[in-house]
Amino acid sequence: MADLRVTLNRLSLRNPILVASGTFGYAREMAAYVDFGRIGGVIPKTITPLPRMGNRPPRTVETASGMLNSIGLDNDGLEAFIEKHLGYLLTLETAVIANIAGRNTDEFVEMARRLGEFQRLAGLELNISCPNVSGGVDYGTDPTLTYEVVAAVRGACELPVIAKLTPNVTNITTVAAAAAEAGADAVSLVNTFQGMAIDWRRRTPVLGNRIGGLSGPAIKPLALRCVWQVAQSVPVPVIGIGGIQSIDDVMEFLVAGASAVQIGTANFYNPGLSSALVEELEKTVDAEGCERVVDLVGTLKAS
Amino acid sequence: MVPTAVECTGRVVEQAPLARDTFRLRLECPEIAEQIVPGQFFMIRIPGGSDPLLGRPFALYDVARDADGRAVAIDFVYHVIGKVTGLLAGWSGGERVELWGPLGNGFPVPRAGHLVCVGGGIGYTPFLAVAREAAGQRRYGNPGRAVAEKASRVTLLYGVQTRDVRADLSDFADIPRFSHRISTDDGSEGRAGFVTELLREMLTDETERPAAVYCCGPEPMMRATAALCAEHEAPCWLSLETPMACGFGACFSCVTRVRVDEDPGWDYRRTCVEGPVFSSASLLLE
Ligand SMILES: Cc1cc2nc3c(=O)[nH]c(=O)nc-3n(C[C@H](O)[C@H](O)[C@H](O)COP(=O)(O)OP(=O)(O)OC[C@H]3O[C@@H](n4cnc5c(N)ncnc54)[C@H](O)[C@@H]3O)c2cc1C
Ligand SMILES: Cc1cc2nc3c(=O)[nH]c(=O)nc-3n(C[C@H](O)[C@H](O)[C@H](O)COP(=O)(O)O)c2cc1C
Ligand code: FES
Repeated sequence: MADLRVTLNRLSLRNPILVASGTFGYAREMAAYVDFGRIGGVIPKTITPLPRMGNRPPRTVETASGMLNSIGLDNDGLEAFIEKHLGYLLTLETAVIANIAGRNTDEFVEMARRLGEFQRLAGLELNISCPNVSGGVDYGTDPTLTYEVVAAVRGACELPVIAKLTPNVTNITTVAAAAAEAGADAVSLVNTFQGMAIDWRRRTPVLGNRIGGLSGPAIKPLALRCVWQVAQSVPVPVIGIGGIQSIDDVMEFLVAGASAVQIGTANFYNPGLSSALVEELEKTVDAEGCERVVDLVGTLKAS
Repeated sequence: MVPTAVECTGRVVEQAPLARDTFRLRLECPEIAEQIVPGQFFMIRIPGGSDPLLGRPFALYDVARDADGRAVAIDFVYHVIGKVTGLLAGWSGGERVELWGPLGNGFPVPRAGHLVCVGGGIGYTPFLAVAREAAGQRRYGNPGRAVAEKASRVTLLYGVQTRDVRADLSDFADIPRFSHRISTDDGSEGRAGFVTELLREMLTDETERPAAVYCCGPEPMMRATAALCAEHEAPCWLSLETPMACGFGACFSCVTRVRVDEDPGWDYRRTCVEGPVFSSASLLLE
């Protein structure tokens, strides 16, 4: 049986199948569908220092082979997360990576310190890429700010740190390089692509927030390109995200250079997918005649 | 037993037209049929492709049983308005769908007295199972939900735009102590005007006075129903149809404004897990 373990610097995972922030609730919502003991790890919804109401509805709309969302980081804040959700999450037999977003570096640091007290957390993912909130610093589009926040969080806690990157930039590799240089254990990409849906008859945007982030199968080729470029040029493990809904999609990201992947939108329309994919991955790696999944990572040929 | 949602494949058993662009579809799916209660819903997805991508929510119409009385299939009634419902309308039996459920809370167990159900357009569909349960004719859930005291009678007030889209109500015909009244916006059948006018008459007539009002339909109609019930101090529950991407609480897209004590007096809450049925007093309707 193939060895599915992957190691991304200080972050060790039983297998490379993770579930993406904002698409898996706080895991409780998925308990009826997912065998948590199978998957590589869970990343709950982004938390912010204080509660956020989120954006006004409609917050999502389906588009061709994808969806737009403008949830707006609706959450009850860090302390409510610790009180209501973290206890449950830490009972699950899987790695739990908390995803945090601050409006400035101090807020990131403050949250990292507090969560650093929970040594059973497997890591922190920094959401420096959410397209749906205004008023905060837009870290993910600026390499200097990305360096600053990643370095500050590394200094504030012992947990492995993942920087989650936005594709809404001219050159994603420079931001990835800044995160790597600042000591990120891995970078995860991509968050959603900014987009819009319009009801032309009413002459109105469909989303309450007018614009939102595109996800789902429609963005897979765009995400693959980003992952491949970063994996090619930046010496940091990459976690691939974007439109994954089948084992072939997983393999494409691994071959492009991702050491692990996150399942996002597909959790909504195939809630049991993540644990099913682990089984399929095992079979596929075996069928490839590989002993370890890591032997497949980054095996794309020049062609 | 605590009901647990399942993800499964369902086979289309049969489909029947009930009105223009309105169909009743039966799906073989014992796992959901044996658990689901009136007012709950499930998500349906067309397998294979990625457009349409997401599941679509549909309310329980009724549970179908086999010769031994085992719950084997679920019925729902849908109105054709877009991608998925457009595809379903072309089906004739044998097709397969992916589905997950039961989802949401369902209507409260009926109480004694006169239960009035107000359905606007396709929003009337949850009330077949509601009425059967309230009248003590059927039980739903596993173990079957106990109804302490049967409703003395059940009335469906059913409002539609026009006669053509008024669904055939013969499925309701064998329910004991059940009656219905119809309104059409254009006066082509029943009372001319909005269904809330029928409700107003019941609320102001001592012999008709509802012990509870259950309502499902377009938003303006639910808002009007809630306001009328508040005015006449009748307990009222609304089943909301907010757009949903997952149906089980993971995406936070289906939110509605629920009253809370903390500032500013309301919070966005997920309709798919805290609803879809809310007491109208708990909502801040926009
Ligand atoms: C809990 C619950 C229970 C429900 N129960 C029932 C039921 O029992 N029966 C029933 O018929 N319905 C029910 N509904 C509503 C049902 O889910 C929808 O009618 C269904 O999802 C429509 O799917 P569709 O693919 O056919 O339409 P879609 O193609 O998804 O379109 C839906 C509507 O949105 C509009 N729309 C979609 N995309 C855009 C866009 N980009 N810009 C502008 N407008 C857009 C369409 O014009 C259309 O009016 C229920 C909903 C909920 C939440
Ligand atoms: C409804 C929705 C909510 C999301 N919320 C978050 C979030 O809170 N934090 C975050 O880092 N990413 C969030 N994302 C982005 C996903 O984690 C993921 O990066 C993106 O959807 C691309 O992957 P996919 O195509 O597989 O969905 C959200 C995505 C969706 C669709
Ligand atoms: S539909 Fe996804 S949270 Fe309600």
